[in-house]
Amino acid sequence: MHAFRFDPVTLPADAPALRKEIREFVARELPHVPAERRANCWAVFDAGFSRKLGARGWIGMVWPKEYGGHERSALERYVLLEELLAAGAPVGAHWIADRQSGPNLLRFGSEQQRRAWLPGMARGEILCCIGMSEPGAGSDLAAVRTRAEKLADGRWRINGQKIWTSNAQQSQLMIALVRTGPLDERNRHAGLSQFLLELRTPGIRIQPIVDLVGHPGFNEVFFDDVVVEPHCLLGVEGEGWKQVTSELSLERSGPERYLSSFALFLELVRLAARVDSEALHHAIGRLTAELWTLRQMSLSVAGQLAAGEDPMLAAAIVKDLGNTFEQQLPALVQSLVGADVRLEDDSDLARTLALLLQTSPSFSLRGGTREILRGIVARGLGLR
Amino acid sequence: MSEQRELLADSAARAFQSYDRQRNAWHEIEELGIADILVSDTNGGSGADWDDACAVLQVSGRWQIAQPIAEAMIARKLAADAGVQLPRSPLSIAPDAAGTLSRDGRALKFSGILQSVPWGRDVSHVVTSLAFEHRTHTVVLSVKDAKLHKRTNLAGEPRDDLRFDAAEALAAASTSRESQHLFYYAALARTAQIAGALQSALERSIAYALERKQFGRAIGRFQAVQQQLALFGAETAAATCASRSAAIAATTGDAPFQIAAAKLRANQAIGVATATAHQVHGAIGFTWEYALRHATQRLWSWRSEYGNDRYWSEHLGRTVVARGADRFWADLTGTGAG
Repeated sequence: MHAFRFDPVTLPADAPALRKEIREFVARELPHVPAERRANCWAVFDAGFSRKLGARGWIGMVWPKEYGGHERSALERYVLLEELLAAGAPVGAHWIADRQSGPNLLRFGSEQQRRAWLPGMARGEILCCIGMSEPGAGSDLAAVRTRAEKLADGRWRINGQKIWTSNAQQSQLMIALVRTGPLDERNRHAGLSQFLLELRTPGIRIQPIVDLVGHPGFNEVFFDDVVVEPHCLLGVEGEGWKQVTSELSLERSGPERYLSSFALFLELVRLAARVDSEALHHAIGRLTAELWTLRQMSLSVAGQLAAGEDPMLAAAIVKDLGNTFEQQLPALVQSLVGADVRLEDDSDLARTLALLLQTSPSFSLRGGTREILRGIVARGLGLR
Repeated sequence: MSEQRELLADSAARAFQSYDRQRNAWHEIEELGIADILVSDTNGGSGADWDDACAVLQVSGRWQIAQPIAEAMIARKLAADAGVQLPRSPLSIAPDAAGTLSRDGRALKFSGILQSVPWGRDVSHVVTSLAFEHRTHTVVLSVKDAKLHKRTNLAGEPRDDLRFDAAEALAAASTSRESQHLFYYAALARTAQIAGALQSALERSIAYALERKQFGRAIGRFQAVQQQLALFGAETAAATCASRSAAIAATTGDAPFQIAAAKLRANQAIGVATATAHQVHGAIGFTWEYALRHATQRLWSWRSEYGNDRYWSEHLGRTVVARGADRFWADLTGTGAG
């Protein structure tokens, strides 16, 4: 039980000034974004906007200056993220580089790798994708079968396939989890390694997968005898599992885990201002209490991360509750709007609702399914 | 702040753990000094803040102490702030007061009814809040002047109606902030107690799931049970975090929004939590003898006390809609401009 700590956080003194700066920037750069593009905005790809953020020093904000970063605090970065997400800014292009690939390089990368890639990531020019899932390895990530074998000259030859890779067709880099040692059924986490791969390397083929709303966001990535230099190994050979799980903590703890449907909440508030409805007031009240609580919890996790702790359990709780909130919101809105709002309408509310009804089921899949997260929580409770 | 808070919570936990429930003596609570915790040091209290007080209240909810601890804390604070001396006896509050104050020579008289006064039959005085001569007044009434209609909540905690007929009242016009917030203070205190009771129900459910065997193994080893308890844990964490955040907000200033959100969030957690606690326990959880009910019956009652879900959701919803969508985020982050 004591692992369930959600201690309060005091945001840095410059947070209000930073918020003001961000709000002015967003108002200037994104004068009108339709509501459905503000929904789930960390999956919205806009390379031009990412470069503008990079130029402002808002990518890789906490990284050392010598690698192109800006040495701001983790909580300042949290303020930036929640402001951008609440405003619905299209931050999808650089999100992975900023959230996990960059930090992963800082933690496990060689000096050469850091110098080669981090400054470009911080400028918003080098974009990254995640090479974890495979056709046979979803929640059971240790089941990856993509193999890298060491050649006599020290180089590596990679064969296999990744899948559900968001933005692979528009990214330069992938950090891939692959098997470098034989599978030992008694120790399945051994023999895994991470590789930093340039996606233009010969032998890599990227094939889009169109999602259920018709967007080509996902990809399959095939590796056919891809030969890479020894320096493409990230971190230590055989330590891939340890490295990838530390990456997952970063992936699960941010404000994007409860704000994906926020744009629809605002449309609901706008509707309630036009239509006097007791049911709408009650729903908005409940959703407000949930949002406020989730933000307090998410902030607390950010504070723990900033203090150098690894709040795996707390992060799993925030993601689970946050995803549930993001998913219940569209269903609740659908149940509340009047007969005059049709899903095929051309209004902000209808378009956002239609998009989120269809995409929100994925929110409790990406970054760890609800079942996996609850398994982590159950372990924290001493049940496993 | 934090160190004193931890110390207070630890010593309260030790005291409550060994509290003699059979004797259930108020003076033992009084000796802990926690009833005066919110009274400023200049008025002879310990001058602790709401974060400290809620830490103690959470522990009182955790151990389900059947005494008006939250009520006495608030009564002592409001009376001291209004300059009214109260005896060192159990005290209660009445956020729900219907009646009038009137002048009778130099004295003030109250006629009306105070509803659902916690431990009304066991306390010497009740503190309430009434509008009088265009100002909000903190009003202290003596229970011996009341006609008592005894009632209890689901957990057997007294929730009595007190009827007064031209009873003598001590009253002082208070800074509007304090007395208007009697209901908010009560809600904040209950929220902390809810968080504690949720934790106790969760701990008991986990312990039971690890001990009870079916199909040859502890039921807690079944994934279906684990997933339910994980959600119960998450809900408990949410209520606890909401309670703490509201307490901190109340420590540093007015916190009507935060208290409303926290009580509503804690209320919502009670649904999942009590259902799961009983599902995991099976039939034994429904017996009089088994202690789970001390937590769950309180939780069911406390969900209705000082603002049920409907009350706070309507209040919050109307506030948010009146402010407008464009101000929402700035308000939520406390950086709103007017």
